[in-house]
Amino acid sequence: MRASSKHPLRWGPVAPLLVLSSVALMLWAVVTRNPVPLFLALPLLLAPIASGVEAPRRPPSVVIEETVGGGGAEVQLRGVVRPETGIDGRDLRVQVDRPSGLVGATPPMFTWTPTEVRFAVDWRAPEPTIVDIRVPAVVWQDPLGVVEREATSTAEPIVVTRYPPELLRIGTVRLERTTALPGETRSHRVGESGEFHGIRAARPDDPPRRINWRASARAGRPLANEYELEKTGDILILLDARPTPLGPEVDEHLFSIARAAAIGLSESFLAVKARVGLGVFGEFLDAVPLSTGRTQRVRIEDAVRKARLASVSAPPERCAVAVRRHFLPGITTIILSSLVDETWSDLTPYLRRRGYPVVVVSPSPLPLLAARSQLSPEDEQLAGRLLHLIRRARIARAWEDAPAIDWETFWSLGNFVDFLRRPRTRRAG
Amino acid sequence: MNAVPRGGTRKPVRPFSLALLLLTVTGLGYLSGFPGGAGVVVAPAAALVSMLFRSGPWDELAPYAPVPVLLALLLEAAFAPVDFGTEFFAGLAGVAFLVWLADDPARPAGGPLRAFPTIAIPSLALGVAWSSALFLPAGALPIGVAGALLVFAIAAVAILVGRPALFDREEA
Repeated sequence: MRASSKHPLRWGPVAPLLVLSSVALMLWAVVTRNPVPLFLALPLLLAPIASGVEAPRRPPSVVIEETVGGGGAEVQLRGVVRPETGIDGRDLRVQVDRPSGLVGATPPMFTWTPTEVRFAVDWRAPEPTIVDIRVPAVVWQDPLGVVEREATSTAEPIVVTRYPPELLRIGTVRLERTTALPGETRSHRVGESGEFHGIRAARPDDPPRRINWRASARAGRPLANEYELEKTGDILILLDARPTPLGPEVDEHLFSIARAAAIGLSESFLAVKARVGLGVFGEFLDAVPLSTGRTQRVRIEDAVRKARLASVSAPPERCAVAVRRHFLPGITTIILSSLVDETWSDLTPYLRRRGYPVVVVSPSPLPLLAARSQLSPEDEQLAGRLLHLIRRARIARAWEDAPAIDWETFWSLGNFVDFLRRPRTRRAG
Repeated sequence: MNAVPRGGTRKPVRPFSLALLLLTVTGLGYLSGFPGGAGVVVAPAAALVSMLFRSGPWDELAPYAPVPVLLALLLEAAFAPVDFGTEFFAGLAGVAFLVWLADDPARPAGGPLRAFPTIAIPSLALGVAWSSALFLPAGALPIGVAGALLVFAIAAVAILVGRPALFDREEA
């Protein structure tokens, strides 16, 4: 398919106005035998044709570079659009769409030069979220606004993740142990720090015996052996993507928060070289097997981005059976679930029965429900207290099976991090 | 650098194109036979309303900015008497309208300069047409010929407007 047929030349809203006016004037001139309307009609009629002739003969290509900055809830998008040679940057119209998970009423700020268009826009994430910022739409438009044509670009959408800052230090939590992957045969070569785990870049304080000289010679850079006792262990993050009685809108909101937390957890643990696996349980289980490194980070990010709420709820037993197929028992498992459903639908007892030590982090629906409430302030206060009591009872019931953290202040997961730092309580769970 | 104000705020008035438009539409209004001599009031008022639509904080009105001034021009031209001066001012008002159109405050400055090739073609055609009207003799027959040519021109423009792909030529 030709690029020009994909991005054809379009008339702007001014074009029909000019043509219709000029046609009316010319008809009036003929009817009244008066050449004056004809002289006014002439420029109006010829302008669209001249614009069409002057327009680029094929869709102009542009290079779009974007960066996302800002910390915490702030999302600062900065970008530059550079057109190909022969296209004036001032004739480009750039449209930056705000993703649905972010808020901010201020429109983007644009700065044009003949060679580029710079844009800056500030948004805010009201709660932890993972969003795709789409590539800005770039349209070439002639100065009169008569014809326009969409530009082509090879830029990719940017993924923005915002999660509570406490998760950045959660990686220092010492996990229970490292398990063998399904089908993995443990090495019999036991080093000074335990069983051989893998190879990493050498550090200045590594003793010569720790350097893997053969691997270093092959790679051309110093590499050292790493042993399992140095590792923090394995972790499985399980996202509960089943629908709840709260309705699709609130469910989607809570699931978006849970997805952001899953990304934060995986990034933190991967940063300390732990092996991280992911499960998304809706109607069935979608799993990312345990692994470590940057590739695993991309795999998990990709899986979380694609994760969607299921339309049908599935029995928790199915989840436990599926988890057992992908992950060996003994892996510390963090379940991200809203715990809105009845207790029979909890995943925790089924997973514990199969040997997975479980911790539940439960994003609370109460702040979202309060934001949507249309009650009077007094009624709202009373309803809020009742809902808190119900929620507390629900969390208490969940605690009977495993530790459950009620996550109500979405920008803080300090309680959860503190809990993980207490080994005795974790073992009890 | 060429920063443009954010939406929802007042945009700067571009004085050159506005002055040119006001001058030409007022001239046409003066020469036209608008009832009660109101041409000199109606046309500049319409131009100022158009300017308000474009430069005001109401972003939703900006696309309709050309409508008032275009309507005023249509009315003035419809009532104008046959005269070489009036013909000249009518054509000039059309070109001034195009210049004003290119000087959109919501877009980077320098629009009329960038639109020079686009505006030059109609201006040239206008110059040829006006000098022909001025220097060539005319009668009943040329009006008939002009009518036939007009029908042909309208049909050609209708085809072009209906099929913008006709301008789509892939470069070798």
